[in-house]
Amino acid sequence: MDASRIMTEALVQSGADVFIGYPITPSNLFYAYSKERFPEFLAGPDEISVLQWMCGYSAAGKIPVTATSFPGLALMTETLNMAYMMELPMVLVIVQRLGPSTGSATTGAQGDLKFLDGVISGGLPLPIFSPSNFKDAWTLASEAVKTAVEFRTPVIVLTSKELVMTQKGFDINTLEPLHKIDRTPKEFEKPYQPYKAGQDRVPTFYPLGNDEHQTRFNASTHDNDGLIRKGTPESLANTWRLREKLEKRVDEFTFYELDTEKDATNLIVSWGVTADASKDAVQFIRSKGHKVSLLIVKTILPISSKIYEIIDSYKKVLFSEENMSGLYKEMIFGKRNNPNVKTATKFGSMLTPSEIEEKFFN
Amino acid sequence: METAERIVTKAKMPFCPGCGHGVCVKSTSKALENLGYGAKDVVMVSDIGCSGLVDPLFATHTIHGLHGRSPALGVGVTLGLNNPNKKVIVIQGDGGATIGLQHILEASRRNVDMTLIVLNNLLYGMTGGQMSGLSTSEFKQYKHSDDNAEPYDVVNLAHQSGAAFSVRVNNISNFENTLKEAIETPGFSLVELSSLCTSHGMKKISELKNYIVEEEKFTNNRPVGVSLRRDTASLFNRTKILTFQFNSNISETIGVVIAGSAGGGIQSAAKMLAQAGILSGLHATMKGEYPITVGTGFSVAEVILSKKPIYFTGLEKPSVILAVTEDGWNKVKNRISETSKVFVDAKISTESSFETKEFLKESGKKGAALSAISYWISKSNIFPVEALLKVIEGSKYEESLRSAIKSAENL
Repeated sequence: MDASRIMTEALVQSGADVFIGYPITPSNLFYAYSKERFPEFLAGPDEISVLQWMCGYSAAGKIPVTATSFPGLALMTETLNMAYMMELPMVLVIVQRLGPSTGSATTGAQGDLKFLDGVISGGLPLPIFSPSNFKDAWTLASEAVKTAVEFRTPVIVLTSKELVMTQKGFDINTLEPLHKIDRTPKEFEKPYQPYKAGQDRVPTFYPLGNDEHQTRFNASTHDNDGLIRKGTPESLANTWRLREKLEKRVDEFTFYELDTEKDATNLIVSWGVTADASKDAVQFIRSKGHKVSLLIVKTILPISSKIYEIIDSYKKVLFSEENMSGLYKEMIFGKRNNPNVKTATKFGSMLTPSEIEEKFFN
Repeated sequence: METAERIVTKAKMPFCPGCGHGVCVKSTSKALENLGYGAKDVVMVSDIGCSGLVDPLFATHTIHGLHGRSPALGVGVTLGLNNPNKKVIVIQGDGGATIGLQHILEASRRNVDMTLIVLNNLLYGMTGGQMSGLSTSEFKQYKHSDDNAEPYDVVNLAHQSGAAFSVRVNNISNFENTLKEAIETPGFSLVELSSLCTSHGMKKISELKNYIVEEEKFTNNRPVGVSLRRDTASLFNRTKILTFQFNSNISETIGVVIAGSAGGGIQSAAKMLAQAGILSGLHATMKGEYPITVGTGFSVAEVILSKKPIYFTGLEKPSVILAVTEDGWNKVKNRISETSKVFVDAKISTESSFETKEFLKESGKKGAALSAISYWISKSNIFPVEALLKVIEGSKYEESLRSAIKSAENL
């Protein structure tokens, strides 16, 4: 079993309708499994077309999915901003590989986090989930569909070559059953305005072509009717809402795993593919009689205050990541040196438990 | 279809006086209404530039996207709706047409049932009147441009790519009828309308004819492109269910590296080892490494077997290395640690005194890796070789796999 298979199955069972893709290593297993499993599958001629088609499908009421890695994501960036501005539900699985540029296609990495942090112009947040094991692959793929629909937004599932390609024996009976997400439009204050939101800050979705209400989608700054308006209070408030709907409700889709040890003052923080090495390292450190807790972050962005609170409750923190400088660490603490914050990082191959242990003890 | 609703709204036209874009909006509305379309039967997809200001003028559904990408967005909407009673119309300018030329060719190639209107005013109107890829040489001469390359003929390009209907109209009074014909044609239709930009183009409309390309019209009688929907079954249905039925003697985690050449069945042999481990009650992981060109060079696989759940799937110090070809050996020989047990094929030249066996000679290129695995299992007694034989039961290649496994007995 591999995580690509688990995620593809979870996406379909959760209600994703169509996979649109252009193959790129190391995301190819998603392409192959999706061709077999999705009710509809389309091969795009390039990544820009892929995401544009996905936007069309999403605006027509479908839930589209793609999988790519950095070079494809780079081409998709303008359209990702469009999807975000239009508030179109969709899921993008990003399988990280070694960069910069085309880098090494078959080498894993955790190098795309900072890019994704700023990928929406203006620094607006995009929900990013990162599975760290097969069970996460199942639940987070499903949560990605749910979050995309409930918050009307593209959602990124950020993973890595090792996690989606490594085969493992796995008991599928341990996976909880999933259900297709309900797309019935929620109640709204009449008359229908495509971008008028209620208390929950998310406007009611009606697809293009529906026979009940005229709907408009717009990639430019727009008012509640979905028409271009430059700098009006209503149109600017609409753009502010895009940020607030995610940041103010982030706890509704914040996932993490915290393994606390009583009286520990040290915390190891990890995410994605390095989480497993961190688990092994924590076991070893504890076996040597040292106290340590482990935080595995699964909703990478936006960062919930819960994550800050956990990190702040420890005296010393070690971040373990498969990149040069500790990109998640930099999102929490910045680039400045801090004597209480360390990083165990690796570039070009997997970070090993012994390398984490060494950083912990020195 | 609803016929009572008007397609056009009462909003004021945002275009400069005399601009052809306004006529385009009116003609499009009339054509749609005459064909019986109601406002909610139509999706207008708009681009960036002056042509992108049309949304408020239409009472239809609208979607306003990015510069040049609207034909691709229109493809997504059309295939996503999958409803012949709904009409998708895309409007873009000549600037958008060159940014997203690939999207036009792809929509044509697939013959997606939608209509693209290219409003060619021979220049970029919104940014100061710069020349476009659809500006003609005569017009560029008139505008004192140094570039004398001929313009793209998007009408013919669409035709060559398979569009059902593609046409250029230079006389705006013929536009409505041509548009009706385009909308009625099943499949992809493109209508290029040459008009002039009154702000940056020419002062006199009569000059237009000196600068534009002649009208042309093409058709292709092809099936309409659709995206097929199908019923599919769970991806878990075809996974192999492995249940514990043999006993394993291992006490510590074992990491095995299997190294050979592309086409030598290295990855499948490693998978069989991992599966045999699972049948013997162990946790198992397996992963492969090979060059991007999968058909040549080395092929290396790593298998981890353990009584405990396996978290980290990397191998810091392999417990066992099985190398069956020189390609594979060169890739893994620097990974040998003081505790590694190493088994190499007799054909591989090594300086050290590793255990060498005739894996290749006994089992051939495709069976050597499995033979080496089988040999090591028997020798180490980690679990019975029967577990490996159980894994291959029912395989298409069961006979040859069985003989590769059995060959280890002769070594």
